[in-house]
Amino acid sequence: MEANQALNNDLICAIATPPGQGGVGIVRLSGKGAGEVAAQLCAKPLQSRTAVYTDFFDAQELLDNGLALWFPGPNSFTGEDVVELQGHGGPVIQHRILNALCQRGARLARPGEFSERAFMNGKLDLAQAEAVADLIASSSIAASKAALNTLKGAFSEMISAIALDIANMRVRVEAAIDFPEEDIEILQEAKVAEDIARTVTALEAILEQANQGRLINSGISVALIGQPNVGKSSLLNALAGEEAAIVTNIPGTTRDLLKIDLVIGGLPIRLVDTAGLRESSDEVEKIGIARAIAQAAEADLTLYVAAADTLEEGLASSELVGNIELIQESDSQPNNILLVVNKSDLGAMRNLPKDIASVSVSAKTGEGLDLLKKAIQESVGFGQENVPFAARQRHIQIIKDTLVKVNAAAQALTQNQGAEFVAEELYIAHQRLGEITGTVTPDDLLGKIFSEFCIGK
Amino acid sequence: MQYPEQFDVIVIGGGHAGTEAAAASARMGAKTLLLTQSIETLGQMSCNPAIGGIGKSHLVAEIDALDGVMAKATDQAGIHFRVLNSSKGPAVRATRAQADRTLYKNAVRDILEHQENLQIFQQSVVDLVVENDTVVGCETQMGLTFCAKTVVLTTGTFLGGKIHIGDQQQSGGRAGDPPSIALAERLRALPFRVGRLKTGTPPRIDGRSVDFSVLESQLGDDPRPVMSSMGKRSDHPQQISCHITYTNADTHQIITDNLDRSAMYSGAIEGVGPRYCPSIEDKVVRFADKSSHQIFIEPEGLNTTELYPNGISTSLPFDVQLQFVRSMQGFANAHISRPGYAIEYDYFDPRDLQHSLETKAIAGLFFAGQINGTTGYEEAGAQGLLAGINAARKCQDKTPWEPRRDEAYIGVLVDDLINLGTTEPYRMFTSRAEFRLRLREDNADQRLTPMGIDFGLVGHERRSYFEEKLRRVDEFRKQFKATCILPSSDLDQKLALNLRKETTLEEALRRPEINSQKISVALALTETDSNGDAHIDALAVKQLEIETKYAGYIKRQDEEILKIRRHEGMLLPATMDFAQLEGLSNELKQKLEHHKPDSLARAARIPGMTPAALSILLIHAKALAKNAAKASTL
Ligand SMILES: Cc1cc2nc3c(=O)[nH]c(=O)nc-3n(C[C@H](O)[C@H](O)[C@H](O)COP(=O)(O)OP(=O)(O)OC[C@H]3O[C@@H](n4cnc5c(N)ncnc54)[C@H](O)[C@@H]3O)c2cc1C
Ligand SMILES: Nc1nc2c(ncn2[C@@H]2O[C@H](COP(=O)(O)OP(=O)(O)OP(=O)(O)O)[C@@H](O)[C@H]2O)c(=O)[nH]1
Ligand SMILES: [Mg+2]
Repeated sequence: MEANQALNNDLICAIATPPGQGGVGIVRLSGKGAGEVAAQLCAKPLQSRTAVYTDFFDAQELLDNGLALWFPGPNSFTGEDVVELQGHGGPVIQHRILNALCQRGARLARPGEFSERAFMNGKLDLAQAEAVADLIASSSIAASKAALNTLKGAFSEMISAIALDIANMRVRVEAAIDFPEEDIEILQEAKVAEDIARTVTALEAILEQANQGRLINSGISVALIGQPNVGKSSLLNALAGEEAAIVTNIPGTTRDLLKIDLVIGGLPIRLVDTAGLRESSDEVEKIGIARAIAQAAEADLTLYVAAADTLEEGLASSELVGNIELIQESDSQPNNILLVVNKSDLGAMRNLPKDIASVSVSAKTGEGLDLLKKAIQESVGFGQENVPFAARQRHIQIIKDTLVKVNAAAQALTQNQGAEFVAEELYIAHQRLGEITGTVTPDDLLGKIFSEFCIGK
Repeated sequence: MQYPEQFDVIVIGGGHAGTEAAAASARMGAKTLLLTQSIETLGQMSCNPAIGGIGKSHLVAEIDALDGVMAKATDQAGIHFRVLNSSKGPAVRATRAQADRTLYKNAVRDILEHQENLQIFQQSVVDLVVENDTVVGCETQMGLTFCAKTVVLTTGTFLGGKIHIGDQQQSGGRAGDPPSIALAERLRALPFRVGRLKTGTPPRIDGRSVDFSVLESQLGDDPRPVMSSMGKRSDHPQQISCHITYTNADTHQIITDNLDRSAMYSGAIEGVGPRYCPSIEDKVVRFADKSSHQIFIEPEGLNTTELYPNGISTSLPFDVQLQFVRSMQGFANAHISRPGYAIEYDYFDPRDLQHSLETKAIAGLFFAGQINGTTGYEEAGAQGLLAGINAARKCQDKTPWEPRRDEAYIGVLVDDLINLGTTEPYRMFTSRAEFRLRLREDNADQRLTPMGIDFGLVGHERRSYFEEKLRRVDEFRKQFKATCILPSSDLDQKLALNLRKETTLEEALRRPEINSQKISVALALTETDSNGDAHIDALAVKQLEIETKYAGYIKRQDEEILKIRRHEGMLLPATMDFAQLEGLSNELKQKLEHHKPDSLARAARIPGMTPAALSILLIHAKALAKNAAKASTL
């Protein structure tokens, strides 16, 4: 047998079926120890090339049940040990299965990595190679785009800023190690400690924003907001497929928050209907409106609803623009807003603020509802392709690992373990983050050292 | 005339690279000839009379582990020893010694003259004899031809050497020695890429004209370290102090006022100098806000009054040198005994070499030392050793030794050079070694001596000492595992463990507050022998301590190393057209085009590389290979 020729042979996992399709969902594992790790998850031994009916556990908790198929290498799709776990749960359950696998030493596959391994191990022919390479190239672009979409631009800036901070800390620590004889205080432990603390905060903020855990376990929250009578409650009913909210043609029908849980294409969503925004003297309604605004600020996504028949001639109405600005001001992620123009059966989309994405729907006829659902999914990177969502998860895993290492560096520093330990942890953190930003070489670092410090004899 | 005898290895140049190369190949049994301009300058230190320091001492320890010359000579010649980074961990601790220039030269010459299989001949080489892209010998100034299976070229800063002092220029290999012009011209005609680099040296000062009473003095370390693992303190000559002075506002003013007269600033020098070894002009210009720079005053030897002021290397004219030197504390009446200067010289692009240091273009020809774009005695010595080993191995029809990055700093040095080339004189730093925690001075013997024994490079004495040390480490390891410490037992108290339950001595050593010294005391081990040198038992326990404290990190690195080894086996074909690869950023394509990595592991070390880009490279490489296979079967 030919030796494994792939870039890596460590254990990788991914969802192999497109999301949002009912029926069976497959999680695939490939690499060293696939059989063992899967057997742990199933709490029973697997049989080579035989479907075993089994439960899937995360620790003690039952996640799902289905079939486990074990294909020992080299006679498998990738040429490595491969296991397929076929369950019934939707994407949320599948992601929990992935999490459970990752906790046992697997990592999330990069886009195209299964095919890549298959090709490298002689399982795909030459004609397919190009396609695999293209997939990797395009999905690494898609990956950063997805990350951008999800976190709206701030992500890449934040990552670059963190990478720079880590580089600067390393400059000090490495310089202190390599140039102990200088008459300047290079290390300045207090400064490094401060930088580390700032980096930790920044990494935690990204993780917080990414809200990964909540997304996987309880989905995202979406607020319906807008002026009275535009059809917010009607949209909630239409999306939920049931008459959950009261709908009348009287403006100001909804007076308090109404929350319902639903699943759109496998993505769990908590949808919140709110009171229509208007100047009001009614105490109860005023409270309702305040809550509505607060809800918009809190939500992962705000659907600002307008009615097509009320859109004015000429410019966008000042009320529309004003309300959107109001919401953006009170929201820490002001860009997570989608303009929904309802009642498309009564008029066309026109005169909308230009810098906001919009969708046209009719709660009454159901027209455009699919597009709205898709837009909701995409707004959190949970698209039709599995790529962006998985990519986002990988990025988040990288950020988590980086955080662990930066914290370890902080510990080494405060416990006075020695500069070489601080340096080692920061090096690993930097390398890990470099998987997103590209690696930084020792010579780059030395260059920074010599430009920053007057060093040498 | 053709010299009647044939050699296996000819080494050209008796500097630090050349002496290690000649000694190594001779130790391995190859019939070796060392050809050098002057026997008097064998082992001459062109610049700073010091050996070791951060990163460099690691190279010296590796040379030593293979029974090389440098560490032994330093113990014979060192007049001031210190351990740098002693407050940090063992991986980054570094021994440094000031050496008496003359004693050092004598020690090197003594070792070479007593080396079996080695002959020395004083003569400048003017030409290489090359037949069918294979080197077969060389020709000297007086028309003598020497024949050999391999030739190691180590001519340092001498090729096309040009010395600058202010606006004056003259040819020279270093002050006092003629350059190698004929050889340089001949080499430029061979298919090697040639560039110019520059380095500089400070003016030397007559100690009798210095007022030491106003200077800070710096003593050597006590206990005094040794450079060679076989070294003894009793080998050391008399020890003396160094001193420290500082530049000041006046010094800086004098320099700024005369900048246009500096060879470097007037544009007379085309070569690039090292960033970490800036001239004093550079320091004053680039760090204008720094009002003072520290200058170490190092003695040149025991029997000379000359001093080496470390930190004021310069290419300013002599009158300015005198003026700014005299502006410094203690130097008011200083007499300069030799002016400082900058030197420009030819170097060969190291990317034209293989990892064995054999040139790609001419079989049997090896390059080592400063000519490969490095700077420093240690960097030169390490390369010389490697080239000497591989020249000898080639004569023995053996595969070359290519030390790896996780094995040795020598591996890091060579790999950096060959993979990325260099645009400035390359100096070793520990930050260049990603496996720094395992590449330590203290375990250089464990890393390399077994290899040296295998190569036939290591003498009997070192071998038995090494094996004894390993045996002791092993015994202590077993003993520590087997030693149970009971709460409030004698050992518990001696080590102040405050145990609540029984533990082994091995576990106790993992605690941060426990170190080898405490254990040595508690076990009443002999710490020093009758001469005051560290006892082998103390060294063995120390080794165990270091292993224990780094264990977690080393284990993690092991995984990384396995991955890199896989990637090293993944070759990128020379026909690969990086510019045509879809999916890579233009920046990355350019870097790949520039460096032309031949394996995935090497590509991975290119700045800005990502895992996705590596995958793309690998897939295309495999596709190329498959296509080629298909074509050849048609
Ligand atoms: C002015 C100056 C300043 C320096 N400053 C520093 C510094 O600050 N820090 C630092 O680390 N290093 C410095 N160095 C570098 C250090 O001296 C070298 O790195 C080191 O000596 C290189 O060793 P080598 O064996 O490659 O060459 P060298 O030590 O230069 O030895 C070359 C040998 O080859 C012989 N030779 C030359 N041509 C021929 C020929 N045609 N035939 C036969 N023999 C020949 C010479 O006689 C000499 O023995 C400096 C060097 C100079 C000259
Ligand atoms: N033609 C048409 N009518 C709609 C559509 N959506 C909602 N309506 C009508 O618009 C009116 C208001 O609907 P609601 O859903 O109560 O509006 P709301 O935005 O929740 O109003 P408040 O709760 O008062 O803020 C009702 O009469 C709906 O039947 C639509 O898509 N097309
Ligand atoms: Mg309503």
